[in-house]
Amino acid sequence: MATAAVIAASCGLVGTLLVVRRMSLVGDAISHAVLPGIAVAVLAGGRAGGPLVFLGAVAAALLTVWLTQGLRSAGGLSEDAGAGVVFTTLFAAGVLLVGLAPPGTHLDAACVLHGELAFLPFDTVPLAGWQVPRAFVAGAIVLAGLAIAAAGTWKLQVFTAFDPAGARAAGIPVGGVTIGLLAATALATVASFDAVGAVLVVALLVAPAAAAELLTRRLHRMALLAMGIGALAACVGYLAAWQFHTSASGMIAVVLGLVYAAAAVFAPDEGLLARFVARLRLAWRVAREDRLATVWRAEEAGDPAAARPRTPQESLVVRWLELSGQLAREGSSWRLSPAGRREAENIVRSHRLWEAWLGRHADLPLDHLHPPAEWVEHHLGAAMRERLEADMDARAADPHGREIPPEA
Amino acid sequence: MTAAAELVSHNTLVVALGVGAVGFAAGVVGSLCVLRKRALAGDAAAHATLVGVACAFLATGRRDLVTLLAGALLAACAGLGVLVLVRRFTRTRDDAATALVIGVSFGLGITLVSGLPAWGFANSAGLEQFLLGHTAALTSRDAWLLGGVAVVAVAVVAAVLKEATLVAFDAAFAAATGWPVTAIDYVIVGLVALMVVAGLPAVGAVLVTALVVIPPVAARFWTDRVGTLVVLAGLIGLAAAVAGVAVSAARPGLATGPLVVLAAAAVFACSFLAAPQRGWIARRADAPRAPAAGWNSGAAEGGP
Repeated sequence: MATAAVIAASCGLVGTLLVVRRMSLVGDAISHAVLPGIAVAVLAGGRAGGPLVFLGAVAAALLTVWLTQGLRSAGGLSEDAGAGVVFTTLFAAGVLLVGLAPPGTHLDAACVLHGELAFLPFDTVPLAGWQVPRAFVAGAIVLAGLAIAAAGTWKLQVFTAFDPAGARAAGIPVGGVTIGLLAATALATVASFDAVGAVLVVALLVAPAAAAELLTRRLHRMALLAMGIGALAACVGYLAAWQFHTSASGMIAVVLGLVYAAAAVFAPDEGLLARFVARLRLAWRVAREDRLATVWRAEEAGDPAAARPRTPQESLVVRWLELSGQLAREGSSWRLSPAGRREAENIVRSHRLWEAWLGRHADLPLDHLHPPAEWVEHHLGAAMRERLEADMDARAADPHGREIPPEA
Repeated sequence: MTAAAELVSHNTLVVALGVGAVGFAAGVVGSLCVLRKRALAGDAAAHATLVGVACAFLATGRRDLVTLLAGALLAACAGLGVLVLVRRFTRTRDDAATALVIGVSFGLGITLVSGLPAWGFANSAGLEQFLLGHTAALTSRDAWLLGGVAVVAVAVVAAVLKEATLVAFDAAFAAATGWPVTAIDYVIVGLVALMVVAGLPAVGAVLVTALVVIPPVAARFWTDRVGTLVVLAGLIGLAAAVAGVAVSAARPGLATGPLVVLAAAAVFACSFLAAPQRGWIARRADAPRAPAAGWNSGAAEGGP
């Protein structure tokens, strides 16, 4: 479990940069393509989790990227088509190589696809008197290395991610920074390989970062959050898999999917729920303000019948306004309280000022002035009204000849 | 040689033909998909199919190909649906959304497939075949089914080829002249999902994208005409599929999927190097520093 958490944290860190650079699918391609590198290294006598395997994997990752770029520049292929050709081919070669590997080399096809956390505790190294799983040691070293590298080159990575042209102009070796990121991706992938397999690494890379991106707009916070989400999801997924007797790596990916879905729905600023609530509150405010303005206009026109609510929604709004003390019932009609009157006058004032301003500057026919003003009246503040009035050289009437009430 | 005897056995032959038909149809459908620059949309659908296979087995308790593939098709469409929802309702960008669907849906599939034995479905062994493809277990009835799906897919492509070409080369013009661009896009993506599912038994969920992407990309080096491209891609897909099935029948230990993909990749490599005009060697000889023409450029038919 600690192994999974350590791995997931490294993937979250790398994944953050991949996601903001729109390179998620490169991550996907690399996670598939490291397989032949690992297979060759193992066939050449390396052991899983050993330095030779890391080297092979990084080489395979760079080969993938180089081939994809080469196909694009020399073959005119679009990037996704090129990647689609390269990583499937390399992965196929890797699967066949694994099939050729002699038995007992700690590689088999199923393990390659979805890893096997359950076997890790049996492959241990002694460390400070404890038997520690080898994959945990490798994962911890990779995490530490990546964290140090990220801390050291963070500014370079950020500059390159958000403004590659500017970074190049400033003399930053953009290609080198990108290759560093790709190598980091390969490292994180290889460290994860034993535990979660080739295909599921992409979930560890992308899902925490994508979820974190929905929760914050600051990159360093996003990276920390992604690491935390990854580690937490790894622990929860591991326990859930143990509970349900199924694959831990698959379960971790499922938990990550749930975390992302939760982030999409409940994120404080841009979650579906938050946006829905904000929309609802806006609609409610517009309805209240429209109601107050209607009552005010009915009063102005001397026609109390016009203030009567016509639909159930309007009745509901009137009820609310009565309870909040802005309207008072008077026989079959309604009267504005002082507070309600102030608000209504500001709304009507906004409306008429906007009509007047539009009529003066936008050269619209008279009957086209009302609809935009009906929208804008809810969004003009006192300062804006002041400026509009100043621009109008203090005319006291709107284009329809009605008085613009003074600021309340 | 037992291998040779098995190679010509009736069942193998029919399976090879059925899978070959799927290869042909995948190449044909893939041409539209790659022209429309949707090469990796199929990958999301492909990884989602595993969930469908497992759920179909859970729901019906049967493991015949029709049931499992029907489940896979539903799951592929669901995966693409989630992709559309994520794009529409969140800030997550296209690439991250695709990778997310790939990783999470595959994880769910693995969770289900690994969990089945422990949950009391002892006869669930064999579902893992859908990971990397294994044609040895296919019967000739399954092969007829696959062939039928392939024929339907090719017929649909033949029907919408003109419209799809127009949309691929100039979507804005197509929309301006009143073509239902979104509907045509959905038809293309739906066909891709169908081919991914049909390719599943032979190539497996992880690699089936290759069957859709590599043949058209290889064929593009030989021709500038869409009609020729479609047929050529189909033939390359057919050849790769048959070659993969044949080798896998001769060496039962090897999964079919990687073999099919490597066969297609070999054709791609030859095309990339040796094709006249667009091939690397020809262009080296012609004009050493000429930049490569883009995919949708050149004298291709239907271009603006």
